[in-house]
Amino acid sequence: MNGEIIAFCCEHSAYAAADAAGKQGLHYPEKLRVIRVPCAGRVDIIHMLKALEEGAAAVLVLGCEDGLCQHLTGNVRAKERVKYSGMLLTEVGIDGGRVGMFNLAANAPHKFIKIIKEMNERIKKQGR
Amino acid sequence: MPVKMGIFLCNCGGSLKNIDFPKVRENLEDLEDVAFVDISHNLCLEEGEKAITSRTLTENINRVVIAACSPEFCERNFARLLEKLRLNPNLLSLANIREQCSWAHEGDVTRKALELIMMAVDKARLLQPVERKEVAVNKEALVVGGGFCGMKSSLELSQLGIRPTLVEREPTLGGKLKELEGFYGSQREAMIKAVEKEENIEILTSAEVIGVEGKIGDFRVRIRRETKEILRTFGAIVFATGYKTEITAGDFPLKLGINIISQKRLAQMLQAPTLEASPETIGFIFDLSDENSRFPTLATLNNALAVKQRWGSEVYVFCKNVKVDSEGVEKLYREAREKGVMFLKFDENPKISADDGRVRIDAGDTLLGEEIALTCDLVVAEEKLLPAEGTEGLSSVLKIRTDSQGFYQEENVHLYPVSSERKGIFFVGNCRGDLDLGRVLADISSVVAIVHELLSPGKIMVEVERVKADPQKCVACLTCIRACPHRAIQLVQIDNEKVVAEISQLACDKCGICAAICPAKAIKFEGYSDDQILAQIEAIGVS
Repeated sequence: MNGEIIAFCCEHSAYAAADAAGKQGLHYPEKLRVIRVPCAGRVDIIHMLKALEEGAAAVLVLGCEDGLCQHLTGNVRAKERVKYSGMLLTEVGIDGGRVGMFNLAANAPHKFIKIIKEMNERIKKQGR
Repeated sequence: MPVKMGIFLCNCGGSLKNIDFPKVRENLEDLEDVAFVDISHNLCLEEGEKAITSRTLTENINRVVIAACSPEFCERNFARLLEKLRLNPNLLSLANIREQCSWAHEGDVTRKALELIMMAVDKARLLQPVERKEVAVNKEALVVGGGFCGMKSSLELSQLGIRPTLVEREPTLGGKLKELEGFYGSQREAMIKAVEKEENIEILTSAEVIGVEGKIGDFRVRIRRETKEILRTFGAIVFATGYKTEITAGDFPLKLGINIISQKRLAQMLQAPTLEASPETIGFIFDLSDENSRFPTLATLNNALAVKQRWGSEVYVFCKNVKVDSEGVEKLYREAREKGVMFLKFDENPKISADDGRVRIDAGDTLLGEEIALTCDLVVAEEKLLPAEGTEGLSSVLKIRTDSQGFYQEENVHLYPVSSERKGIFFVGNCRGDLDLGRVLADISSVVAIVHELLSPGKIMVEVERVKADPQKCVACLTCIRACPHRAIQLVQIDNEKVVAEISQLACDKCGICAAICPAKAIKFEGYSDDQILAQIEAIGVS
């Protein structure tokens, strides 16, 4: 891996938002790699850390809006895990902001693009 | 069996011009386990289907990788095709090279497309077949609550050939219909008769649900009827337990009495054939604090209008605002104003005091900008809609959440308003919140449609062991049981000794929360297992 951004996308919201972005011809950095998951709650800490270990510049977990998770608490659990992973990273001297959890709806391709671009700016500043 | 993979690339009618397909094929052909790489124009059309069919059968492959449009469009079709070819649908792996690659970027994206396909290929290597089987479901439904919602749902279900059992806590059916006689002219007697006449409906009055176990298609329900306890099984459960109204003590300094009455009492007075003395001035108060006041608005407008017509009294309605968001309320509001009902809108809650045997209301009107003092013969107090008694107890029996006001909480207010987080349990009407009649009717229609679709075939197709807890690794720590949003996990004893978690395939909604949270990593979610996700991560950037 060479500085890619890995995004775990919930198939109910973020994955559809990524599709919508493509359909509308909205462009985003080519280094994004989307991994489809059934719910943001499926993403475990090991997945995020492994991605960083393999050489990803950043890891995003993208789930449904608060209170609208198809599986009630999946997005909340994901947020907790992302926070914990960030803490672990900070502890060992790595920028914890390289993992991030964001909520968006299936009809929010612009928000999707914004999230990706912001993360891209962040890692660019760090020279990745 | 060794993995033998077939890769199909679709260039979407030649429109994905920024991907160099021959180059992609070149890179994929030499991979281990790959039998062939085909480029097709339209995999989604009949010709594509034929191409997949012939190649799959002649090459005898056991994994299929398809690089095409978004799985949101094509996954279902290709899975169905695989099933037709006697290949397990779970042996399909998709790469989204259209929406998330070709269309999302400018310039040549061959490298990214190749990587996405590599991710799918590496995942495909690890895929295992997931068997499916048919499970029989009980075709009977339980309807709890013999009010309007319960009776109407039962009637409609029985017309569709489902046998509903109607359980009512009181000795007679009808629920709150008696109090609501004035509303939209509902016909209580006719409805009860219709339900009693229907042979398909079994009526259990003076009965209460005291326990629910099991899962969709096979709920074991304990019902207490008088002193006896009955154990019955049902395929689905519909709760229509309704609501109660209450005046919160904090709202009124004066107690309810002769001069301050509830809507319910007013309805009784209106129904009485004769009245000793009809009150000359009547004040209604509502919308004091509660934002969510559909039902009180409806009750107040109806009763105010009825009072005006029946007794010809002077009617004043004190409120913060009239919320006309339910069906027909705008019309009702206009009609009330035309008939001479006065609406006075306050900012701060009015003061109520006794005045020589009558009730005095002091309020500021925001439209007039003046303080108004009014002495009424009768004040009708605001009522709040609350969940029916026993809702709390029942929700703990069902292991289902309630919202901040104590109503049953829908699984998802926007997507699935009548479903609960447990598959096969549904709510209709005012037991899930403050609804007006239009919404209640919509609830009933949706629940009847869902239950019919669920139970009428008599069987459900389920995937066996899509999500599975490994009994060797499970230490019965209960973490997954607490985390499962659909209450699909239970502890079972195996081989008469070890207690382990078991995931019910019927109740499971395949979210994978348990697989992520399990501290022993005992739960495997086929298709999204740890090694399959990690294989995708590792495939990135290799080519």
